[in-house]
Amino acid sequence: MQIYLMAALIAILTSVPIGQAQAEVRPDHAKRMAKGLAVFQDGVSQALKQRCVKCHGGDKIRGELDITTHNLLLEGGSEGPAVVPGSAKTSRLFRLISHVEKPHMPPKGEKLPAGLIAKFAEWIDLGAPYAEALLDSKLDRGEMQITKSDKEYWAFLPLKMTSAPKVENSQWVSNEVDHFVLSKLEAAGLEPNSPAQHRDLLRRVYFDIIGLPPAPEEVASFLSASDINPRAALESVVDQLLNSPQYGERWGRHWLDLARYADSFGFEQDTDRNHAYHYRDFVIKALNDDMPYDQFVRWQIAGDEIAPENPLALMATGFLGAGVFPTQLTEKEFESARYDELDDMVGTMGTAMLGMTIGCARCHDHKFDPIPTRDYYRLITTFATTIRSEIDVDLNPELTRAELAKWQLVHDKLADGLARWENEYLRERLVAWVKNPPAESAGKFKWLVLDDLKIKSLNGAGFKSLGDGSFLLTGNNPKDDRWVFTTESKSKPLTGIRIEALAHESMKHNGPGRANNGNFALSDIRVFVEPLEGGSKRVAVKLTNPQATFEQNKKGLSVASSIDADKMKTGWAVDQGGIGKDQTAVFEFSEPIDCTDAIKLTVELDFFTNTSHTIGRPRLAITSHPKPIPLKGSTQMTSITKLRSAFKDADNLDEFSEKDLQMLLRSYRTLDSEWLKRDAKLKAHLAAKPKPQTTKVQVSSEGYKPIKHNADGRGFPHFYKDVHLLRRGDTSQKQEKMMQGFLRVLMRGAKDEEKWQQPRPNWARTSFRRKALANWLTDIDNGAGPLLARVIVNRLWKHHFGRGIVNTPNDFGLQGKVPTHPELLDFLAGELINNGWRLKPLHKKIVMSYAYGQSASFSQDKSLVDAENQLYWRCTPRRLEAEPIRDSLLKVSGLLDTTMFGKGTLDPLMKRRSIYFQIKRSKLIPTMQLFDSPEPLVGQGARPSTIISPQALMFMNNGLIRAAAMSLAGKLETEANSQAVMVGYETVIARAPTLREKQATLAFITKQEDSYREVGRNDARKLALADFAQVLFGLNEFVYVN
Amino acid sequence: MDKIREIKKLTRRAMLQRCGMGMGSLGLWSLLQQEGLAGQSTLAPKHPHFAPKAKSVIWIFTNGGPSQVDTWDYKPALAKRDGQTLEGFDRFTGFFSNSVGGLMKSPFEFKQHGQCGKHISSIFPHLAKHVDRMAFIHSGHTESNNHSPALFMMNCGLPRMGYPCVGSWVTYGLGSSSDSLPAFVVMSDPKGRGLPKGHAANWGAGFLPSVYQGTHFRPTGDPIDNLYRPKEMNPDQQRRQLDLLRHLNQKHLDANPYEEELAARIESFELAYRMQSAAPEALAVDQEPEHIQKLYGLDDDKCKHIASQCLTARRMIERGVRFVQIYSGGMENQRSWDGHNDIKGNHSQFAVETDKPVAGLIADLAQRGLLNETLIVWGGEFGRLPIAQKGSKPGRDHNPHAYTNWMLGGGIKGGVSYGETDEIGHKAAVNKVTVNDLHATILHLLGMDHERLTYRYNGRDFRLTDVAGKVIREVTS
Repeated sequence: MQIYLMAALIAILTSVPIGQAQAEVRPDHAKRMAKGLAVFQDGVSQALKQRCVKCHGGDKIRGELDITTHNLLLEGGSEGPAVVPGSAKTSRLFRLISHVEKPHMPPKGEKLPAGLIAKFAEWIDLGAPYAEALLDSKLDRGEMQITKSDKEYWAFLPLKMTSAPKVENSQWVSNEVDHFVLSKLEAAGLEPNSPAQHRDLLRRVYFDIIGLPPAPEEVASFLSASDINPRAALESVVDQLLNSPQYGERWGRHWLDLARYADSFGFEQDTDRNHAYHYRDFVIKALNDDMPYDQFVRWQIAGDEIAPENPLALMATGFLGAGVFPTQLTEKEFESARYDELDDMVGTMGTAMLGMTIGCARCHDHKFDPIPTRDYYRLITTFATTIRSEIDVDLNPELTRAELAKWQLVHDKLADGLARWENEYLRERLVAWVKNPPAESAGKFKWLVLDDLKIKSLNGAGFKSLGDGSFLLTGNNPKDDRWVFTTESKSKPLTGIRIEALAHESMKHNGPGRANNGNFALSDIRVFVEPLEGGSKRVAVKLTNPQATFEQNKKGLSVASSIDADKMKTGWAVDQGGIGKDQTAVFEFSEPIDCTDAIKLTVELDFFTNTSHTIGRPRLAITSHPKPIPLKGSTQMTSITKLRSAFKDADNLDEFSEKDLQMLLRSYRTLDSEWLKRDAKLKAHLAAKPKPQTTKVQVSSEGYKPIKHNADGRGFPHFYKDVHLLRRGDTSQKQEKMMQGFLRVLMRGAKDEEKWQQPRPNWARTSFRRKALANWLTDIDNGAGPLLARVIVNRLWKHHFGRGIVNTPNDFGLQGKVPTHPELLDFLAGELINNGWRLKPLHKKIVMSYAYGQSASFSQDKSLVDAENQLYWRCTPRRLEAEPIRDSLLKVSGLLDTTMFGKGTLDPLMKRRSIYFQIKRSKLIPTMQLFDSPEPLVGQGARPSTIISPQALMFMNNGLIRAAAMSLAGKLETEANSQAVMVGYETVIARAPTLREKQATLAFITKQEDSYREVGRNDARKLALADFAQVLFGLNEFVYVN
Repeated sequence: MDKIREIKKLTRRAMLQRCGMGMGSLGLWSLLQQEGLAGQSTLAPKHPHFAPKAKSVIWIFTNGGPSQVDTWDYKPALAKRDGQTLEGFDRFTGFFSNSVGGLMKSPFEFKQHGQCGKHISSIFPHLAKHVDRMAFIHSGHTESNNHSPALFMMNCGLPRMGYPCVGSWVTYGLGSSSDSLPAFVVMSDPKGRGLPKGHAANWGAGFLPSVYQGTHFRPTGDPIDNLYRPKEMNPDQQRRQLDLLRHLNQKHLDANPYEEELAARIESFELAYRMQSAAPEALAVDQEPEHIQKLYGLDDDKCKHIASQCLTARRMIERGVRFVQIYSGGMENQRSWDGHNDIKGNHSQFAVETDKPVAGLIADLAQRGLLNETLIVWGGEFGRLPIAQKGSKPGRDHNPHAYTNWMLGGGIKGGVSYGETDEIGHKAAVNKVTVNDLHATILHLLGMDHERLTYRYNGRDFRLTDVAGKVIREVTS
């Protein structure tokens, strides 16, 4: 009643339409409201819901009157207010339902009963209060606001550090963990169990830390070490296990559950993601390296922005793209599918990292947690442009760097050697060459290469001289372009020009064009001459008789079309046979150009025919050869010609300036056979420069090409730059555009988003919104850091103890469980942060506690006090998960292949650890599913542990089980039966059989052997031992950890 | 005082039931776990919310999307307007926006049948005889025009991957009454035409424990995994092996008498041993008398594959299986009811494959008195357009706005038609029915209130019907 009263008060106070005098609040106001609400509840509300609201606020709003809430009722419709509070008689609603006035209401069906109409009158006279809105969807309240008290919910508060509580039994305390656990036990009058047997404890830490059982010799050495010093023995094993590479394989799988990781898209095509496994490898490596957890989180959100040079950081971003996506989409589904994808990224981040069900705020403010819909949309804006891409990554940049350094050493030596040789000999060799010139070869050459050119690109392409007269195009590859080449010439009359388009390894398909297919399209070529001196006009040279080594066709892409009337659409191209090879075109001048006096020659090349289709490595040459000019011909560089003419002018080297001399030497050396030999050696070594070995990696980033899939065929855009607030999560009900934001309930210190955002660096391809999110997530002072730490330490605890301190590991919100040991949770979170977010020290602290090391014995008395073992008076026995069951089978039978990393397989008989299965969503590995491994659709924080008969069928009949049994039998075969039973027990369940067990199994083996022999099997004993091994696999002790 | 022991005693029994491929208590089990009680295993059989009208469900899933106007939704106006352009048609309604043709009448003749005088297409001569048992829902509409989202919608209530399907929810809610067969069985096309789009996600348990997922009986090879004992072993040898295992596990249990899970696991091996014979036995349709085989059409090459599945379905529900889904057709296009090309040829073929077998199933269940406790559902993931999809032999494209389902059997009022499409069968128009409504109705017939059948996952109470759904009382008896 109290609440109703409040609601009514608020309703009244806020409901008076503007411009009306506020009704006087009567002294008996509260009482009248209470009474009014009672009447509302007793019939009025029901009648309004059943007879009125459908047309006035539900399906329709007849007469513009919506009566869903008190406010709306008073606001009225086209005929004015429906109700005058306190005066039924003058209220339109009353007059219509009592048929005093028309139209009679309700218009259909019977008139309301007289008694009910009287109630309406009473209700209106009492102020017409509402206890609740008539329709849920129309709650008349504004957007959810985050209040101070919202932020004071335990999970959202900063960590609270308390000193370890005092305990009575100080003998039982090994570290702080025990203080916290024992103080609660003592308060409840419970004593913890005695320590577990060494053997049980060893098996427990092996499975908890690496997910595999100890080998018999490891058991033996632990037992003997424990006899001397049990703590030291345990510590040494724990250290060894935490440092084992198999730790990452065990704990990585826990994280992959949260990351809904799989190697395919899901939905109907379920297309493979062939390069997604790098994310799985990242998780294993990061855990094995004890990467600080905050970094682990930051890289998964924004590794490409935080450490773009580090391949692991790129692999980490696979987290965001691991979710399902329907690759077959119709146009109608494009946008909603993208919002689903954003929801998947934010939702998974929320449950995995923050233990928050953020996705619940997609269609409406979160029903339980302080997450307004606005916060949700501001948060998903972070990922607006983030998509899945596959990029080439050097996975081992250090190796590449090392090899490069090694190569560089040799290179420097060769280059130095050549430089020294040049210093020492080149000048005298030039002098000798000048003094004793070789036979004149003038006239032999046909083509003079223009290697001394001025070049301009209209649209800013770059040209790099390759020293042979050709220029490699660099930098920006414009949509279209015009190149202008100018040079000077003074020689015999010129008769023609040659344009070469040369291949080069740096281009797609080796060129010779810059288009993606290696092609180019030369739209137009023009040649102009003007005298260098004398001021005469520039004259266009008419080109005739075009020839080419290859033409794409004889029409619009022929060489002739580069000098036809069409300057834009047609042009010389070389696809369909000419890609990857040097190509040449030759044009004759209709009249020879007279160069007796020096002229300025201008050549213009246009590339407008196709998008980004310029030549990639042009070379220009001129000739004085009499017409007709052959397409093929020998070549000499202009610079040599210049060199020769230079010597004609000066026969003493000393007369040259240093600069000119250097130019002379550079030109000369290309004629020196000795220099050429040495240079060739250097060039050959240059060609062998080590290249990084790259591997395709699936990343989630921005600005890379999206991974291709089916929906591309219909033009799926992969992302929409803007994110809008959506009403009810519906893309057809877009509201305003959103800017990035975070969850306000986890923002402290009166700071806004800008605190975590930083301007996007100039070099950045990405938006740097994800880095901002990562900053907020891991900010322990003002951001989500404390919750991030609580959530992960709770997960560690859960996997060690079987239940979390918060028993809803993916929900720390108001619907989740509250912590059983809040001080312990915060202590562990604080420890984590103090240890630089490293997880291994925390594992060790937990595992070294007495609380963890207790026996699993059940006690009826204790269970009456604490049935669920919430206070940890024992270690709760647990069934192993799918992976440790299968991995253990492989290990104890000697079949386990310990190869780490790389692409997975769908072969159920694979012998590697189960984390290396390929996870194809439509073809999950049946054995894994049988033991509750999750469907990778949304993050899962706790697996169920079912017992069903198909699991038993697997232990009875599965091919892998049988193979493991046969393999173990192969090892046992060499022993006498009695010893074989011993070894079998020790290997499979890490203990010796009891006398009775031994007798029973020996009898069984004999009987089985006889029966196999009876049916004529010559491997009867091995089969019998395999049957025995299979019995061991079926033991409860094999799949349960005490 | 000895509360624990009492609980244990109760639990032991429940626990044993729990180890089947489902069993009475499973529905509750996860709820208890949510409540933090699973550790104590206070398991009890789960009862429905109220008295059920049906105990089991057989869903003939006409995969690919059958055309309503060529099957059950008679539209004389469509014939009159044959060839006309449909004004205002949104060409992105179907899958192929560039093959939009004019209105196209049904190539099939419709005739009236039964007491109710329902017009039915000539492609269902056998099913037409049961029209007075059927309740038609003509006003179904769905949220996607694309196979897999629409299949997920029809099976799981949302057009997205990863949610539990109806069969899983039913199993979660009720468990199974079989101790040797799965509670929820799916049979797919045995003619090599593939699985429905979205594959196993259509019978997946989503976030429910995987216990509740459908068991797919493979159409070829071993019907389910690990069903047959290793070939070198004979039954005696395996029995001895299990006896030794039981003996050793029992000793271990004796030393840990309060760990119920251990007991449950021991029992699970016994159930598994029984399953080895029970499952092949349920599939042995050749054990049926000849006249029964003929009733289903097992002697007819055109339909014997579905006949065998329908007969298997009957044998399964007789043995306590709760939910059976049979997919007619494989993937898309000509491999299922997805008649983009040649609607006449396509629908004639798939009608022949299913007509006699399903009619035989209905007749057989009726003569055994099982029809009043078995609900049969017929329908696909969406309907088809009244306009032609252009081609040498015209077909019809996807239509999310209208399709027809019928239901029959336990709790269903026969001979009624609920809801209407517009005069050409393009869009549901009167008493529109959502997939949630259909699901709510199915749960209702099984004795469950769809609003109370919930599962807490990642902080939210999920329902099969999300936040909607209304039982269609007009079709229930």
